[in-house]
Amino acid sequence: MAIRLYQEPHLENPILVASWPGIGSIGIIAVDTLRGMLEAEEFGEIEPWDFFYPKRAVIHKGVLEYLEFPDNKFYFKVIQGKELIFFVGEEQPTEGGRMYAEGKKAYHMANLVLDVAVKFKCRRVYTSGAAVALTHHTTKPRVWAVPNSDSLIPEIRGYENTVLMSDIEGRGGHGNITGLNGLLLGVAKKRGFEAICLMGEIPVYLQGLPLYYPKASKSVLEVLSHSLKIEVNLDKLDELDQRVQRRIEEFYQQIPSEIRGQLDRLKHVAYAQPIEPGPITEEEEKRIMEDVERFFKKRGGGG
Amino acid sequence: MSQGYPIKIYKEPELCRSSLVLGWSEDMGNLGQKATDYLNRKLKGQEFAEIEPEDFFPLGGVAIEGNLARFPESKFYACQEYELVVFQSGSPGAEWYKFLNSVLDVAEHHCQVKELYILGAMVSFSAHTAPRQLLAVVNSAEIKEALSQYDLSRDMDYQTPPGERPTLNSFLLWIAKGRNIPGVSLWVSIPFYLAAMEDGQAQKKVLSFLNERLDLKIDFSDLDQEIREQNEQLARARSRFPQIDDYINRLESNLMLSEEENGELIKKIEDFLRE
Repeated sequence: MAIRLYQEPHLENPILVASWPGIGSIGIIAVDTLRGMLEAEEFGEIEPWDFFYPKRAVIHKGVLEYLEFPDNKFYFKVIQGKELIFFVGEEQPTEGGRMYAEGKKAYHMANLVLDVAVKFKCRRVYTSGAAVALTHHTTKPRVWAVPNSDSLIPEIRGYENTVLMSDIEGRGGHGNITGLNGLLLGVAKKRGFEAICLMGEIPVYLQGLPLYYPKASKSVLEVLSHSLKIEVNLDKLDELDQRVQRRIEEFYQQIPSEIRGQLDRLKHVAYAQPIEPGPITEEEEKRIMEDVERFFKKRGGGG
Repeated sequence: MSQGYPIKIYKEPELCRSSLVLGWSEDMGNLGQKATDYLNRKLKGQEFAEIEPEDFFPLGGVAIEGNLARFPESKFYACQEYELVVFQSGSPGAEWYKFLNSVLDVAEHHCQVKELYILGAMVSFSAHTAPRQLLAVVNSAEIKEALSQYDLSRDMDYQTPPGERPTLNSFLLWIAKGRNIPGVSLWVSIPFYLAAMEDGQAQKKVLSFLNERLDLKIDFSDLDQEIREQNEQLARARSRFPQIDDYINRLESNLMLSEEENGELIKKIEDFLRE
């Protein structure tokens, strides 16, 4: 298991932005869109074979030409005076049929990514993922931000459309970020990096569906680009979002009207503490969740 | 040998230029298990090493098969007189790269293995009365050339379809290539209605190739007898059940059965053979 660098870009104090796939591919779409827009240059990878089962074999005239593994690549870009390193992992190194990485392999991969951050003297790390929330697919997703140090909180409070865990009613500042997008934050703390995880909200009823949720990726990218002080054009994400919204709407119309009626009420949920309590009570929230769960169980696990 | 690999060597085999034959025990038609058992029996294979299961197999209990508790086993046997190593194992469920490298560590460093043969079975929609096909996927042009004189097809083009993953055999072949071990992944066809049973003809097809290629001088009369018996059983099934006969007749005429008919044929044949 090793890091392979094809070149060693000369960087002074870059920022590392890393992401792996998760719910709705929210984080990875945000990070990979930014990487693509900035035309960041590939400069290295983590050798994949100890982490992943191969994803494709190519056999030509009886000879196994190659096996393709999930990509785990590093890119860099210097733009508007900012130095950025991107890490994009195509899969999380899961074990024992679990959905998200955990355990030894996940820890090892997080450390390999941070080894590169150490090598290039990165001053900050961003990761990104999804926040499953009682929200509706027609409303603009907010971004939940989790820093790994108190000193970052004032900065986060200045971000638009962003909440801290303590702002979310009923959470008391607590929560859990599953998989590598969360683990990296912790390992970064252990190794002395300041880090922030930005998570775009996805409606609870969409979390199990095999679809992207670019609306939330856009919210994440807005916050990330603001934090990085980089201007980005989000038209592509808007286009993708429009296509996905049509599919979501088709799915939504298949939900029995009784449950859909409950879900419609999520359009009006406003549960950040500073705002007055929304028109949905805690009991109603619970009932919505139960209805949603029942519906997806009946459908066979919600995709 | 790579450090930390969970290999137990009981006795160093005396091999100087051997070939490794590998079979997985949960293969279609039980091919890997049966063919490697056959080699060990005929060539007096002696167990000399194993890979410990803890990193590779779920050990949350034991599986029960044929009334018996089973435990994952990954064992090496040496057939010294024939410069042959046989490896028999269940397919690991985790740490595949480490597992496959462990296999090749034993092969290279304890057995001086020069060639690798991986056994596999593929489903066929032909009748059992049609000859079995043997297909080879190799990891170098040189070994492909060396196989030109044998009765097998060596020109397959294939890409893993979206949503699927490559086989463990391809993974092993690729690792062997990285270690400069010429390797062949052998795929023998098994009629779909025998896939959950056993198919002596498929075993014979792959074993005959190994016999010729590795000069093993195996007398197959016992396997031929098993094949005759299975063919007779299948002939009895055809004469007792006109529906089975009709389905197999259609397969013999290169006609496809519907999905439902396939399912019915599988069930009827399996029920009959298990009687």
